[in-house]
Amino acid sequence: MPANASNGEAIADREVVIARTYDVPARLLFEAWSKPEHLMKWFGPVGWPLTLCEVDFRKGGRFRFAMTGPSGEQNQPFGGEYLEIVPNRKIVFDNAFEAPGSEKMIMTITFDEKGGKTLLTYHTLFASAAMKREYVGMGFAEGAGSGLDQLAAVVAAMKTV
Amino acid sequence: MTPASTEALDLVFAALADPTRRAILARLAASEATVNELVAPSKLSQPTISKHLKVLEHAGLVSRGRAAQFRPVRLEAAPLAGAVQWLGDYRRFWAESLDRLDTYVKELKRKEGRRASKRQQR
Repeated sequence: MPANASNGEAIADREVVIARTYDVPARLLFEAWSKPEHLMKWFGPVGWPLTLCEVDFRKGGRFRFAMTGPSGEQNQPFGGEYLEIVPNRKIVFDNAFEAPGSEKMIMTITFDEKGGKTLLTYHTLFASAAMKREYVGMGFAEGAGSGLDQLAAVVAAMKTV
Repeated sequence: MTPASTEALDLVFAALADPTRRAILARLAASEATVNELVAPSKLSQPTISKHLKVLEHAGLVSRGRAAQFRPVRLEAAPLAGAVQWLGDYRRFWAESLDRLDTYVKELKRKEGRRASKRQQR
């Protein structure tokens, strides 16, 4: 299992968990995660559509994505391998940018349906605490506690000037 | 998804890693101020505040006016915005993707519902 491939750093220092409940059955969400025609409709932030989306959706199969930003230039492709697929329940894959020395993250998505609603949990395990900091900036965000709130307040205040 | 200017970000985060400097920035978000105006509400000496201002200035977070004697200190927003954007990147990436996924799967559900009701009519 990926969690055992530890480099001595605590899992908590390398992971990020995001959870969200959707008002649809798990099978629709699983479907949306499993086919390019669906992924291309939603994956990526606003203004950064997927313009490369190759998916071999089976255990051991690979995927390859790239997004194009507002400048019109396609970003560095990224991708990886599907490590585990349990229909309507779970998808595990690793993911890295296609660049020399690029570290991998492992994403585990679990689908938990109850009464027609589905809780999706997105668990990201970064290769190292440093990699997590690079992506999430957690050292500062979680340090001092109020630091980020204060920073956000400052920026919000600037916007109203 | 990867930060662009690491050195600039290092300076910004180092500058922000201090409660006094964050308090100064919060004060300057309201309006520009002279060094004396920044010293007054704090329990710190003028040289200490000046030292903190130098760090903020070096990170590009504040600038000093030219008005010889008072030289008001002003907040510079750009590096802050960059820092916030960088901090939020990975979570924002997913927050926005998952908003879009929410909209999309609801559409899938509606389409399914329409197909099902057509079958029932037949």
